[in-house]
Amino acid sequence: MKLTYVILLLLFYAGAKGQPCTYKLSGTVTTETSEILAGATVELITSGITVTDDQGRFQFDKLCKGKYSIRIRFVGFNPFEASFTIPETSTLKVVLVIQKTMLEVVEVHDHFEHVTRTNNQATLTGNALDQTRGQSLGEALKKISGVSSIQTGPSIFKPVIHGLHSQRILMLNNGIRQEGQQWGAEHAPEIDPFIASNIIIIKDASAIKYGTDALGGVVVVNPADLPEQKGIGGEINLVAQTNGRAGTISGMVEGGSEKVKGFGWRVQGTGRKSGDSHTPAYNLSNTGFTEFNFSLAAGIHKEAKGIDVFFSRFQTELGILKGSSISSTEDLRNAMKREPPQFTQPFAYTIENPRQVVAHNLLKVKGHLHSGYGDFKFQYGFQYNTRQEFDIRRASLNNAPAIDLDLFTNTLDMEWQQHASKKFLSNAGINAMMQVNNNVPGTQRIPFIPDFTSLTGGVFYVGKLTLQTWLVDFGARYDYRHYDVAGFDFANRSYTDSYSFGNASFSFGASRTLGNRGVFTTNLASSWRPPHVSELYSFGVHQSAAAIEYGLLLDLATGEVLDFNSVDFQNEKALKWVNTWRISKNWFTAEITGHANYIFNYIYLKPYGVTQTVRGVYPFFHYTQTDATFLGADLFGKLTPTTKFSVSGKVSLLRAADRTNNDYLIYVPTNRYELGAEWRKEMQTAGQTFSIEAWGTFVDEQRRAPRVVSVDEILDAYAQQEDPFENDNRNFDFVAAPPAYFLLNLQAGFSHKLGNSKLDVRLRATNLLNNAYREYTNRMRYYADEVGRNIALSLKLSF
Amino acid sequence: MNSAKHLLLFLSVAGSLILSGCDDDPAREDVPELITQVKLTFTPIAGGSAVVVTATDPDGNGPQDLVADGPIELMQSTTYDLSIELFNGLLDPTDDGYNLTAEIEEEADEHQFFFRFSTGVFSTPTGSGNIKDNPSTPVDDINYLDEDTNGRPLGLLTRWTTDNVEVSDKSFRIVLKHQPGIKSGTSTSLDGETDVDITFVLTVYLS
Repeated sequence: MKLTYVILLLLFYAGAKGQPCTYKLSGTVTTETSEILAGATVELITSGITVTDDQGRFQFDKLCKGKYSIRIRFVGFNPFEASFTIPETSTLKVVLVIQKTMLEVVEVHDHFEHVTRTNNQATLTGNALDQTRGQSLGEALKKISGVSSIQTGPSIFKPVIHGLHSQRILMLNNGIRQEGQQWGAEHAPEIDPFIASNIIIIKDASAIKYGTDALGGVVVVNPADLPEQKGIGGEINLVAQTNGRAGTISGMVEGGSEKVKGFGWRVQGTGRKSGDSHTPAYNLSNTGFTEFNFSLAAGIHKEAKGIDVFFSRFQTELGILKGSSISSTEDLRNAMKREPPQFTQPFAYTIENPRQVVAHNLLKVKGHLHSGYGDFKFQYGFQYNTRQEFDIRRASLNNAPAIDLDLFTNTLDMEWQQHASKKFLSNAGINAMMQVNNNVPGTQRIPFIPDFTSLTGGVFYVGKLTLQTWLVDFGARYDYRHYDVAGFDFANRSYTDSYSFGNASFSFGASRTLGNRGVFTTNLASSWRPPHVSELYSFGVHQSAAAIEYGLLLDLATGEVLDFNSVDFQNEKALKWVNTWRISKNWFTAEITGHANYIFNYIYLKPYGVTQTVRGVYPFFHYTQTDATFLGADLFGKLTPTTKFSVSGKVSLLRAADRTNNDYLIYVPTNRYELGAEWRKEMQTAGQTFSIEAWGTFVDEQRRAPRVVSVDEILDAYAQQEDPFENDNRNFDFVAAPPAYFLLNLQAGFSHKLGNSKLDVRLRATNLLNNAYREYTNRMRYYADEVGRNIALSLKLSF
Repeated sequence: MNSAKHLLLFLSVAGSLILSGCDDDPAREDVPELITQVKLTFTPIAGGSAVVVTATDPDGNGPQDLVADGPIELMQSTTYDLSIELFNGLLDPTDDGYNLTAEIEEEADEHQFFFRFSTGVFSTPTGSGNIKDNPSTPVDDINYLDEDTNGRPLGLLTRWTTDNVEVSDKSFRIVLKHQPGIKSGTSTSLDGETDVDITFVLTVYLS
C-alpha cells in the first residue's frame, strides 16, 4: 500500500558563506494533529543519528555543503524519508502520519517507548555523553541536575535521583530491568556506559510498565538502533587519566548486510584499568580497578516483524581503600584520626584485599510484530550476576571471599500497543520474573543475607491521549511477588520462611504546550516496592562500616529471626509529584523542575543501641520503617548570546526529612550549584571545531545532617554503663558533615573531519585547583580526602 | 511463527536449567573467625591453684552484650603466667573450630595481644601497659613469654607479678590486633584490625 506522508519543507536560504562544513540543520517532528513527537529517531544519512527532544526538535551541526537524505521513525507512524541539499535547506518541519494497517517498508523497529511523553526526564547523549567517557555510569550521570551519587571510594558510584538510590531506582539496561546485588552502598551498577548511545533519567515515578521499585526514578541505558544499510562503521575511544594513571580503551564495530535486507550486527568491547587514585596530599592505597566488558548484538527487521538478540558481559575487580578496613569501633576512631590512612603506600596497580570481584551477564532475545491488532513485543532476559567481596582476614582465609553471591534472574515481558484512534494509544502488558540468589559455599562466615527465590508477576495498562495542546498519560499496574528464603542466624542455625506481597501502582501525567512560553509537564505517580531480603534479614558488619546491621525481622531481645507473617510489616509506598517547565528561545533555554516525594513506610537503618562483642563495643542499627519526605528543585539555564559563546548554570536543591520522628535522614545529597561558560569556534579549515569550556561546582555543606555522636562519646557512655541510644535513637553520624567545597574544571576539545571519519580530541581537567575536600555522600569521608586533580586526554575516532 | 517457537524452546530450557540448580538447602559454613569466648588463666609459677576468668558473648554479632566473669582475683606479691584461650562458644566443645587459640598461634607473625591495667597493681610490668588511645600515649613493656618467627611478641603467654598491695575494682584490658603485613618493631595497638577487646575487673588480695 502506498505510503502517505505529508511534508512541509520550509526553506530558508542560509546564504553562501564560503565556509563549508559549518552549516546546521534543525527541525521539528509532529503529528497531523500538531502533537509534538518527542523521542523520534532522526537519521541523517552519513552524518549521524539523534532523537527529538521533549519539544519534538532535532538539530545537526557542522554539516558540509552537499546532498543529504534523512529518515525519521516513530512508533505507530509511517517512517519519513526525504532528500535535500545543504545549505539550501536549513530547517525541516516534518509531519508523521499514523500507520494504518499493513506496512511495506523494511525498517520496522520495535517502537515501544521507554518513556512516556509526559515524563519529567533528562537525556545524556551526544557531546554531553562523550564528555563523560572514561567514567563509570554512576559518575557520568552526575552531569544531570537532580542526579548525584552515593560513593564508596574513588571507583564505586551509585546514582541517586532526588535523594533516592539502590532499591528505589529502577535501571533499564537495553530494555531489561537490571538485577544485581544492589542492596549495599558499595555495590555499583554493573553496566558499561560505552554501550549507551543515550541515557535517559526519568525523574518521576511513572514508568510503571517496568514494574516495582521506581520510587525515585528510572535510569534508561539505550544502545543505538542496529544499522540496516550495508557497510561497516564503528568507533574507537581511548582515554588516559593522570589520577590513578588510568587507561580506557573501547571499540565498536557495526554493520548491515546487502544480501539480507534488514539485518544488522554490532560488536562492542571496553577495557579499563586504574591504579591507586590520589588526593592532593597522599596516595589512596588499594583503590585501583580493572574492568572488561563486551557485548554482541544482531537483529533482523522485516516488513512487519523483527527479532533481536543481545548478549553482554561486564566484569570488574576493584579495590577498597585499605585504610577503611576496620573491625571495631575503636578501629574506626583510630582510622578517623589518622591522616593519611593506615596501610598507605606508594602508588601501585595491584589490588589486594579488601576488594570486590563482580560480573554481570545479560542475554536478551526480543521479538516484535506489527499487525492489524496492534504491535506486539516479547522480550526474554536472562541475567547472571556474581559478587565476591574479599576482606582482610586471617592468612588462611584471605583467599576465601567473605561474601560470595550468585544471582540468576529470568524476565519475560510481553507488550501490546495499538492506536484506537489518532488521538488515543493503548499500551498493555504482562511481566514475569523469577530470581534466585545463592550464597556460594566456602566463605567461612555466617552469610550476610539468606538464599532466596522470588517469583514476580505483574500486569499493566497505559493509555495516552492527545488533545489540542495537551498530552495526557494514565496508567495502572498490579504486581505480586512471592519469596522463599533460607538462611542462618547468629548461632549458625538455619531458618526458612515463605511469604508474599501484592500491590498496585498508578500514574497520571499531562503535558501542555504554552505557545512560545514553553512546555509544562506534570506527573503524579504512586509506586511501591517489596522489601529486599537484605532489609529483612541483614546480619553482620558491613565492610568499613563499624556498625552492626540487623534486618527488620531480627528480634532485638533474643537475636532470633522472626517469621515474616508475625511482624507488622507495611509495604513501602511512594507518592511522587514532579512538575517541569521548559522554555527555549534562540538565545535562552531554561528548565525548572519542582518535585515532592512522600514515602510511606520508608525502610531505613535506624540506630538502636550498643552491643558489646569480643571485638569491643559496636553501635547497632536495625532496619525500621518511618514516613519520609523528599522535596526539591532542579534548575537549569543556558544563555547563548552569540553562536560562539554560551553560559550555563545548574542548581539542585533537596530537603529530606523523617516525618514520623521529626528528624533528619543520613546521606541525603547536599545542595549543588554549577556555573559554566563555553567558547566554541568553527575553524576556517573544513570540518574542524575547537571548543573550550570552564565550569565551577559549588557543593554546600549538608546543614540538615543528623546529630553527631562521636566514637569517644559512645565508648565513654558505654564505660559508664549507659547506652547513648537507649532513650534517644534519633539518627546520628560519627562525625559532622564535611564543609562546603568548590571545584574548578576545564575542558578543551577539537574535532576534525576526514571524509567519512571524524576524530575528536578532548582534554579535561577536573579539580584543577587540586583542592582537598570531602564529599558528604562518600563513605570514604571518614577516612580520607577525595581525589585531587585529574587530567584526562580522550580520543574518539568514528568511522 | 518460527522465531516465536524457538524463543519458547529457549525459554523452557533456560528456565529448567535455572530451576534445577537452586532448590537445594543452603550449606552451613564453618565460621573460624567467630570468637565468642575468651578465657584467661593466671597460673602462679610457684605452684598453687590457677585463677580462671572468662568473657562470653551469648550471640556473637547479635544484640546481646558480652558478659565478663570477674573479678580476676590475684594474690599480692605473686608471679603468674597468664595464658589466653579463644573459643567459639556457639559450637559444642567437641566440634572442630571450637578452640581458636591454635589459629592465632599459627599466624603469630600477624597478631599481637596488647594490655592495659590500672597503675600500681603489678610490680612487673610497671606502669599501665601498652594499649594506646592515641599516637602519643606512653607505653610500658609487657613480659611476653612467646614470640613469632620474626622474634616479635605474640602474647598468648605473658608473665605478671602483683605488687605488695591490696586493691579492688581495678581494670585489666586485653586487645588482640590483626596486623597483616604491618606487624613490626614499631607497630602498636593502634595498627591493624581488632579481633579481641575486653576489659575485666581486677582485685588483688593480701596473702
